[in-house]
Amino acid sequence: MRMTQVRASFGVLDHAEIPDDPGLEKNMNSSVVALRHAPGPYCLTYRAAYLMLLIWYGTMMFAQTSSGPMNATATTPALGAEVTVTQVSVTQVLGFEAARNNTKGTLSVQDNALQFKKNGNAVAQVNISSIQDVVLGEESKQVGGLPMTLGKAGVPYGGGRVISLFSHKKYDTLTLQYLDANGGLHGAIFQLEKGQAAVLKNELVAKGAHVTTIENPSAKPNPQGAQNDSK
Amino acid sequence: MTANKKDCAVVIVTLMVATILARSPQLCAQTVAAKPAPTSAWSVQVDKVDPGDVVIEPAFQIAIYENLLVELGKTKQFKQVFRSGDRNASDVPDLLILKTTVQKYTAGSETRRAVTTVSGATKLNVRSQLCTRDGQVVVEHVIDGNVRFLGSNLRATHNLARNVAKSIEQSSLPEPGVSTPAQKSATSGVAAARPGLR
Repeated sequence: MRMTQVRASFGVLDHAEIPDDPGLEKNMNSSVVALRHAPGPYCLTYRAAYLMLLIWYGTMMFAQTSSGPMNATATTPALGAEVTVTQVSVTQVLGFEAARNNTKGTLSVQDNALQFKKNGNAVAQVNISSIQDVVLGEESKQVGGLPMTLGKAGVPYGGGRVISLFSHKKYDTLTLQYLDANGGLHGAIFQLEKGQAAVLKNELVAKGAHVTTIENPSAKPNPQGAQNDSK
Repeated sequence: MTANKKDCAVVIVTLMVATILARSPQLCAQTVAAKPAPTSAWSVQVDKVDPGDVVIEPAFQIAIYENLLVELGKTKQFKQVFRSGDRNASDVPDLLILKTTVQKYTAGSETRRAVTTVSGATKLNVRSQLCTRDGQVVVEHVIDGNVRFLGSNLRATHNLARNVAKSIEQSSLPEPGVSTPAQKSATSGVAAARPGLR
């Protein structure tokens, strides 16, 4: 018997007792199993890490859901008089020309116009008198976008699904219908923090926006997936 | 030996340059083809979406309308795409009007989709008609737009609009001034063969 240094395939050096038979040594050259080897993805350490990740995500999502609406109004002096300007943080989902879809910015009612601003610069503006309808809605969406979705898909044991249960956020939607200078109908959809859409709608109506649609509670998204069928 | 290697490199580079030069007219032609002129003499006006008897959120109606305008513009099939009520459309001689009526709507849930995968799909089914000014239906399709896995609920309206634009693109529109019977989607093999189109 002699002590031989054996190099395992994954670079871990170990000492193993190998008999003096040279033929046996040759045969065992490639079949040595290291005593210390890299942990598999399902070992206890990894499970603990996944669990920690799960708890962290869950806590983060709860924290996001419970956050209240932001202050919606600001006061600015204009021409010596104080004018109250309603300003709300929004995401322009679609419809506002000159602004890309899903652009974050602020929506403010200034004089007789509804302005969408990004980084303080007015991107688009609509005359309030041209607004034909203002409709509020309520939606729920998963937070985090594609990176979060991919991350959830990578969590083993269906942990991503559990995260999805808590990683959703409710928000208000504000749908506007307005006419351009040629009489063409435009529509725009905005996402707002929960509770802020009603503030903005009241402000628009007070400034002369038309409202034709009667809010129908049955038109709100049905979480049970109820089907409406005209047939 | 070194000279042989140099010769080989020179030959390979020469061949590559020759290939690129030989293909350049084709590439130019492809680039030109990527910006086609309108394939028909028609202009189109997109009407406001009719909810029919279906209870559907106004946000979905508006999203369908806006996405239809975008997708029809992308097809480059029409000379001009007008919005509903646009006064400029009244001066256009060859105008088709796109009427969209919602037939079915299943409200989905993004969270249910994420948790269960198999449920929570948002489903839309509309009847899409291209009519002339005098009300004659030129093309008619029944089209679906769904979100089954990834994406927000409003993504269904984008998918629907894309399917409507594709089906119109694949339909043969009559020449302006020629009256032809309506092409229904049931007889349109292309539309029926595509997923999401009926």
